[in-house]
Amino acid sequence: MNNNRVRVLSVAVAAVLVLCLVSGAAAKDAFPAKPIRIINYVAPGGLMDVTTRKFTDVASKYTKAVFVVENRSGAGGLVGMEYVLGQPADGYTIFAPTTSVVIQVVSTNSSVDKYVWGFEWASMLMKDPECIISNRKLPTSDWVDIARDAKAKGGKQIWVGPSTGGNDHLMAMKVWDRAGISAMWIPFESGPKAMAALMGGQGVAYVGNPADTMGRPDLKVCAVSSDKRLKQYPDAPTFRELGLTGLDDEIMWRGFAVKKGTPPEAVAWLQELVEKVANDPEWKSFFEEQAIEVVAYKTDEFTRFVKKDLEDAQRYFKQFGIIK
Amino acid sequence: MQGLIGLLKAAGSLMGLQPLLLIAAGIVVGIMAGAMPGVSPSMGVALMVPFTYAMDPSLALVYLAAIYLAANYGGSITAVTINTPGTPSAVVTAFDGYPLARKGRAGEALGVSLVASFVGGAVGILVLMLFSGPLAKVALKFWPAEYFSLAVLGLSTIASMGGQNALKSAISAVLGLLICTIGMDPVLGVSRFTFGNVNLFDGFEFIPMLIGLLALSEVFVEVEKFDFASESVAGAEKAKWPSLGYYWKLRLSMLRASVIGTIVGIFPGAGATIATFISYDVEKRFSSTPEEFGQGMPEGVAAAEASNSASVGGALVPMLTLGIPGSATAAVLMGALMIHNLQPGPELFVKSPELIYKLFASLLIGNVIMLILGLAGSRLWINVTRVRKQILFPLIFAFAMIGSYAVNSSMWDVMVCLGFGMFGWILKRYGYPLPPLVLGTVLGEMAEVNLRRAVMMAGPTAIFQRPGSVALLVVAALSFAIPIIQAGKARQRA
Repeated sequence: MNNNRVRVLSVAVAAVLVLCLVSGAAAKDAFPAKPIRIINYVAPGGLMDVTTRKFTDVASKYTKAVFVVENRSGAGGLVGMEYVLGQPADGYTIFAPTTSVVIQVVSTNSSVDKYVWGFEWASMLMKDPECIISNRKLPTSDWVDIARDAKAKGGKQIWVGPSTGGNDHLMAMKVWDRAGISAMWIPFESGPKAMAALMGGQGVAYVGNPADTMGRPDLKVCAVSSDKRLKQYPDAPTFRELGLTGLDDEIMWRGFAVKKGTPPEAVAWLQELVEKVANDPEWKSFFEEQAIEVVAYKTDEFTRFVKKDLEDAQRYFKQFGIIK
Repeated sequence: MQGLIGLLKAAGSLMGLQPLLLIAAGIVVGIMAGAMPGVSPSMGVALMVPFTYAMDPSLALVYLAAIYLAANYGGSITAVTINTPGTPSAVVTAFDGYPLARKGRAGEALGVSLVASFVGGAVGILVLMLFSGPLAKVALKFWPAEYFSLAVLGLSTIASMGGQNALKSAISAVLGLLICTIGMDPVLGVSRFTFGNVNLFDGFEFIPMLIGLLALSEVFVEVEKFDFASESVAGAEKAKWPSLGYYWKLRLSMLRASVIGTIVGIFPGAGATIATFISYDVEKRFSSTPEEFGQGMPEGVAAAEASNSASVGGALVPMLTLGIPGSATAAVLMGALMIHNLQPGPELFVKSPELIYKLFASLLIGNVIMLILGLAGSRLWINVTRVRKQILFPLIFAFAMIGSYAVNSSMWDVMVCLGFGMFGWILKRYGYPLPPLVLGTVLGEMAEVNLRRAVMMAGPTAIFQRPGSVALLVVAALSFAIPIIQAGKARQRA
């Protein structure tokens, strides 16, 4: 390298450094000053992964902030939570949880104080009603038939779904409890694999959300947790219509959480952005097509949902012997 | 006929500059993602999803599918040149590809892996186009009992893997199975050997473990020998590339492996890696010189690469016909389609058949582009084998660390890689073969979970109640017993 080139290079490096300093100083005024990372607890292609990627896509209409979506999957979300809790509470690392991670903390006997209350539950994005899905091609395609079959089989009826001790398993327990039936939960590696098992006739019911039947014509929603029928699924009866009470508002939420102690202005910035995205027509129609209610709940309301999930999980997992 | 017209129309619409460039870009990205040990095919596709937001949905699908297709080939490049499989399904490629490269026959190994990937890819796509409907029905008939029996069939291949050391390879396989028991029990959620460490809840991450076992242990062995000074660089002489006739001789190996790869790919709970082990075993049995497998047999490379590339077409069968992804990468593709407001599943054929035809046509075109780019690229990749060991081994070490870290951006995985590197080195020193161990880790969970599911569903005799399962078990028993009986006879004669 000749001298001239060295000089040009050093000038360039100096220029970049100065620019960094200037932009650093300017950034103190406004959040965010650097890219924000959203940490997913699922692998690429998972439900929350699709949701966060869609979110960053829509959010780009309303903010110039740069989002980076990262996947840190493992242990049903604990790996992702552990990671976010290990990062500074500065609002630049956002955790993208669903109901499932809170339930997972309970079913694995992990510390609720650390994993649940170590977070501020900042923004709830949506409410996805829980439902029971059956196979049209089986004789047990309506809830009445499923309930009758369950009584006839005396606890040997098979329900399929994702992991043991997950939120769908919890929902199944609630349904069994209310309907006075008992059945077996056979867990699969993922929701779609469990749905394949339902299509193949291995079990009679799958617990999930109405959108799970999209693109899978053999599957139908045979009971849904909602106070009235969903307009996207007018043929699907609610639990109340089927005579099961107390199951009108069982939902799976998706949202964003930040480490406790994050500066209020960073939280407020996120909540404001979520509000804008929640009103975006593209965002709304994307989820409403799936019968999901788009919301933009802030910390207080979101925390109420988290508390209810914790209480339900502790109660039913004890009742069904998942935890002591 | 209508299908053919649709396909030709779709192919015609892809013959513009933009679509072709997009497919080519997808192939390049896929090859690179496959070749980097820390970036799996599914991650490669996922990373590219944001770039497709602004694209037309059909072009997005075309682009992402090209990445998926090429990633399975890309994994073989590092497997052959530096014994570091870029994807789990390229493990078996390394068994013979790397020994070939060390013998100065890297040109053959790279050429065979490319051509076999091409053939496998083509067979998989053709099967996807022609038979996806009936095959989807078969996939649904595969219950836990069948999955368990398929895993047993996979495990039975250790009988032919062992060579002289049947006992040692059995021990090695059992170690692999035991490693799988670490983590949260997948059926009841009980912690096993996790010692409360969250990192262990899902057991060991596959890629760091593989890189440690295969690549690092090899580095440690070479460092121990420390004969670098005397080394004559193997590839220094001009690389020899195989002729067409050479590939023609491998046609049957490639075809058999392609069929196995496609079929196994269809089952959502199995996957490309298992397909490669089974195809490898089949080729070994067809071979007149089975003892040379593992020392550098082109048939071994052909079997592995044809079957893992064929599994791509297979994995798309349940995705398009049932809305169930056949592999982790297919799951990402499904997610991407959903972001583009397309619901994967059988309705896609009705609602937007032109999209499906475009996908098929683009896969066929992409496969050809992969062949062309791969032929050009191989001329570059072969240079890796010309690097002297003193330089190459530290690089492999660094590559292994980075690759392990990249999977989950976690230092834990780096430790896992180092730990398994030491473990692999110790096993090698005492003559325990590593392939059975890898096989055990691939199949352990599949065997355990499905056996437990089957028994929960139908009682202790579950695996004997279903004809498919029984048939697989019989094949497994034969495939286990025959090599042992043959070896016994050979010993009597001697």
